[in-house]
Amino acid sequence: MLAKRIQPMIFHARRLYVELMFQVMGRALQAVSEVDSEVKEEAQVLPEGFLFEMMVMPNGPSMIVEHTGLGRFRYHGDNAPRPVDLSIQFKHIAHAFLVLSFQEKTSVAFANDRMLVDGDVSYAVRMTRVLNRLESFILPKLVAERAVKEYPQNLHLPEKLVSAARIYLKVATNFVETVRP
Amino acid sequence: MTNKYYEFFCPVKVIAGKAALEHMPYELAGLAAKRPMIITDKGVRAAGLLEPVIAACEESGLEIVTIYDDVPPDSSTSVVRDIAGVYRSEKCDSIIAIGGGSAIDTGKAVNILVSEGGDDIAKYSGAGILKHPLKPFFVVPTTAGTGSEVTAVAVITDEAKGVKLPFTSSFLLPNAAVIDPRMTLTLPPHITAATAMDALTHATEAFTCMAKNPLSDAYATAAVKKVSQSLLAVMDNPKDTDGRLELAQASTMAGIAFSNSMVGLVHSLGHATGAVCHLPHGLCMSLYLPYVLEFNLESIREPLGELLLYLEGPEVYATTPASRRAEASISAIRKLRDQLYKRCQLPRTLKETGKVEESQLDHIAEVALDDGSIMFNPREVSLEDARAVLRRAWS
Repeated sequence: MLAKRIQPMIFHARRLYVELMFQVMGRALQAVSEVDSEVKEEAQVLPEGFLFEMMVMPNGPSMIVEHTGLGRFRYHGDNAPRPVDLSIQFKHIAHAFLVLSFQEKTSVAFANDRMLVDGDVSYAVRMTRVLNRLESFILPKLVAERAVKEYPQNLHLPEKLVSAARIYLKVATNFVETVRP
Repeated sequence: MTNKYYEFFCPVKVIAGKAALEHMPYELAGLAAKRPMIITDKGVRAAGLLEPVIAACEESGLEIVTIYDDVPPDSSTSVVRDIAGVYRSEKCDSIIAIGGGSAIDTGKAVNILVSEGGDDIAKYSGAGILKHPLKPFFVVPTTAGTGSEVTAVAVITDEAKGVKLPFTSSFLLPNAAVIDPRMTLTLPPHITAATAMDALTHATEAFTCMAKNPLSDAYATAAVKKVSQSLLAVMDNPKDTDGRLELAQASTMAGIAFSNSMVGLVHSLGHATGAVCHLPHGLCMSLYLPYVLEFNLESIREPLGELLLYLEGPEVYATTPASRRAEASISAIRKLRDQLYKRCQLPRTLKETGKVEESQLDHIAEVALDDGSIMFNPREVSLEDARAVLRRAWS
């Protein structure tokens, strides 16, 4: 009985968590593209104006970033200014929660058919590498190892700490700027 | 609770064995198909492979309404449009694709146009666009390797834009795959070898990559066993009908396995090499398989070790210490490649192909890194890793 009453609250909390994580990831993608040369190099191959979306099917939370050129991303919130070029779609909010709470690696989620790719698969592969790089930076190593297929061996603590601090600072600034009227 | 999860789907009726072709009229009639069209290529026709199909149908009073035999090795949107035009003008109601990967993919694409309508196949490109079942569609493979008869994918070149269009939908799967040993009896030795190595690679990657699952494992191991037991026998005696049937079944089983568990780095490198150097797909698979297994070794030690049972049989498996079985599996594959080299000079290294320059390796590595199958490789692959595997495969 109690479980039945609590369940809607759990579902609501899960949805809020996924929405929040998308907001953090979107801003962090923008930040990491300003901080890390490897991410910039990966992103440079994407066409200018390329819109990338991660969303939960059918009309759940979403996150949209645009490649504005020279390897830079801009976070657009959950509103795409035009049809997106590449969409990675979780089949259910439960699957998005598994990935965004680091219970399931992104690569495993793909292998487990938790998500679909709508668009050019080669760009999806590239964006997955960017997301892995981002997660390796901003998550503690123990958590990052649960999120990415292999934690990069060449990412050492000083570089990680400095980059993570810069990314978090930019994310926080972006949050404040967005909230300000 | 475990996080393990998988999906498995294969609704294709497999019609396999002696006189399998003769079952086609009955099976087509069961789908109310009375006016089938054959889609094939000139090589298949020249090899006389259409005659047994036509004879089997006509003997049962089923007329083949028209035959399109001009499918090129890399099928294009205009070819698909032309064939759809013929299908409509001849008032056909079903398709029989006879051939290798290109004819089968063309058949799948034509089926989209004639079922959904229109002339522009490009607008159906992508995943999950199709929402309805298509016209009755049968596939008769004439190579034993691609497994296209049981995959839900087709790739067609858009020559105007210079890009390859992927089509993915379970509705692309044929109603039936007809596996008749007569259709592969005349395959030349080097194609027999390369296509069988393609099937072996499908099965090995299906069994060792990230989306492996209990059902695809069963198909993959059976396919590995069939290739290991029959390939050299068929190379020595190309008219060995039983051996040919074993290889054809192995190809279908490996196709079922990999279409449900995907493939990994061997395919990423193979697709890239095909795009950059225009090497045949099966040959690329044979070239890269042992080197990629070595690269992945520590991530796949257990399943790769298990494959030894199917590659070398129970005696070798039992006498090999568990800790050495993975390496022994790679050695078995190398040994098989050496035997194939001896019998038909199937290249074992990129250098032996004579068609790849060492200077192209970096470009191949870059292209491979963007290939979709790399997502399912058990190990993360960096540009430097891909280059290292290519260097090992060079000579």
